[in-house]
Amino acid sequence: MIRFGFLASLLMMAASAVAADDLATCILCHGTNTNGNLGVRAPKLSGLEPWYLKRQLELFRSSARGAHPKDVSGGEMRTVALALQADSLDKIAATIATFKEKPPVVTVAGDPARGAKMYATCAACHGANGRGNQALHTPALAKRSDWYLVTQLNNFRDGLRGVETSDLYGGPMRTAAMTLPNAQAIADVVAHINTLR
Amino acid sequence: MSANDEMSLSRRRFLHLVGVIGGSTAAYQAALGLGALPTVALAQPPDIAPLPKGIRKSVLILGACIAGLVSAYELTRRGYDVQVLEASERVGGRVWTVRGGDVIDEVGHRQVCNFDREPHLYFNAGASRIPGEHLALLGYWRELNVELEPFVNLNRDAWVQDDALFGGKRLRNREYVNETRSFVAELGTKSIKPEMLDEQLTAADYKAVLEYLRQFGRLDINLKAARSKRTTSAGFAGPDAMKQLFNSRILSGMAYGESEDQQPVMLVPVGGMDKIVDAFMKKIGKYVQIGARVETLNLTEKGVRVVYRRKGREQESLADFCINSIPMQLLAGIDHNFPNEYAAGLTAVPRGKYFKLAFQAKERFWEREGIYGGISWTMQDISQMWYPSNGIHKQKGVILGAYTFAGAAGDKFAALSPDQRAALAKQQGEKLHPGYSNFVEHGVSVAWHRINHMLGCAAAWNESLRAQWFDRLQSPAGHHYLVGDQMSHLPSWQEGAVQSAFHAIADIDQRVREANT
Repeated sequence: MIRFGFLASLLMMAASAVAADDLATCILCHGTNTNGNLGVRAPKLSGLEPWYLKRQLELFRSSARGAHPKDVSGGEMRTVALALQADSLDKIAATIATFKEKPPVVTVAGDPARGAKMYATCAACHGANGRGNQALHTPALAKRSDWYLVTQLNNFRDGLRGVETSDLYGGPMRTAAMTLPNAQAIADVVAHINTLR
Repeated sequence: MSANDEMSLSRRRFLHLVGVIGGSTAAYQAALGLGALPTVALAQPPDIAPLPKGIRKSVLILGACIAGLVSAYELTRRGYDVQVLEASERVGGRVWTVRGGDVIDEVGHRQVCNFDREPHLYFNAGASRIPGEHLALLGYWRELNVELEPFVNLNRDAWVQDDALFGGKRLRNREYVNETRSFVAELGTKSIKPEMLDEQLTAADYKAVLEYLRQFGRLDINLKAARSKRTTSAGFAGPDAMKQLFNSRILSGMAYGESEDQQPVMLVPVGGMDKIVDAFMKKIGKYVQIGARVETLNLTEKGVRVVYRRKGREQESLADFCINSIPMQLLAGIDHNFPNEYAAGLTAVPRGKYFKLAFQAKERFWEREGIYGGISWTMQDISQMWYPSNGIHKQKGVILGAYTFAGAAGDKFAALSPDQRAALAKQQGEKLHPGYSNFVEHGVSVAWHRINHMLGCAAAWNESLRAQWFDRLQSPAGHHYLVGDQMSHLPSWQEGAVQSAFHAIADIDQRVREANT
């Protein structure tokens, strides 16, 4: 029993060392406390719901996300996700949720008033305050990297994301994104989301 | 209007014309020639004043790359307290020589190099050749006794291959260049007519132009392109040879080899580019800590405060000055308190996505084709193939099987696994050397924008970005100096890194002198 306990703690130490390496990889691109880095197009992860983060890592690992040849950044993330230890996903998601958040810099110029009207569609699932709703499997939108929201809305619209049937909640999001008529509408909606802080 | 005004006006007019005809690079070069712009390169390190007795100044250097090592070397000689933090587990930055057993720390695609362990079997994954005009860098090589050898950069016996040219058949560089010149020269002699002469061009000038074109294209006395006896490719004699040559885009890549920093023969240290790093480390290695990853960088009233993580432990370092070579694209993600007008520049300059792949060759098959060093060019993804200038006539050699600069090519290779990259490079290499894939093994690849602690090579400045950001980013933010080849007029060259370090230490010296008087 004692010997077993010793072995188990050794194994746990090894697992946490692996998770530490994996976390260092997250921070490499996503920045200190994973507060995001536009320089390498890595969005802010801090403050992200652990269940959402884990689900995205799993989607990347199963190639339901990031496998489209035009999704270069998604492809980079997929490579990293595949190299992670399968049993460290929970730990990564839980640890990132503890990181100290820094409000993201505003980079998107749009008309928040116009965006507020279109946001009604988003609010149905993501909430009027943009805080998301786990019961509806929707993540918070407030306090995300705004340029990343634009990229993902485009990816959904262009079929780079949300087209695989195994991405259960990406499909409805793609349908919703298609209702935004053009780049200006996307900028306006994101400008409104930027006011939800 | 004074004579001076008149002169400056005509000079401006001249520069305008040069700009129109030759592009703005030509205008910049011409302006340098006219003394209108300051030259930035210093062949010698700046003359830093030794610190007076009783005065201590600390400089925290981030990155044990060429810029960091030069800064540490110069400052410690003048009595400064120096600490160098390096995030990765090796020193040298993008001066990196990969040998058998070495790890390639690419995010998600860790590789181990399986080359035989012999002194001539290595791969310079980053910096790999130096022109004789990079005097400041060469000064250090001389001072630190780094043994040099010639690097064959241009070899007329190497191959040129484009699927759109003569059915994709490989051509000797000599054939390609000489025959193209002949066509261009013949075209020129036919296009320039005596009736085009005016007072600017005399009959004697006209004769001289024709004679120049005759020499340039090695035309016969009738001003016709004379096929060289050494030209073996039938394609050149074909009816639409000229059309195919002019429509091929292969020259767009090869023309790089004619650019200012390129020369037919360049220089490399014997045994690997990292010999210069070894030489610096012998002098200042005791100040360098590896595996120290910066998490926070704060400008303070009197200097800088840096928090870094090393061996799982957070540590703090306070210093009077900081010389920072962390690549801009990474620095942007580190917690900092830079003013917005400075921080915005860090994400304004796109990162480069250079890609290199090397094989160990079981036999030096290229030498049997009369190729000793140099570069073959192809329009395929691999773009270039470099033959080693070292280890001539040994059994094996390391061949560079792909080298690309373009972002799209870098993304394409990076998206593949290392095995897939090697398979693609083998397949494409077949067009340059039939049987190639049987001769090469142990492919290793470096996608610089996916390498841990780098995520890019080299800073992709253009003229408008330079006009908008270069001066701001080169100037200090408080007591913080951004350096590296990224902060130079020579991105991707070690000389640029050296010059950036010279700029920073000269400015620090100036401030310290002013404070002490």
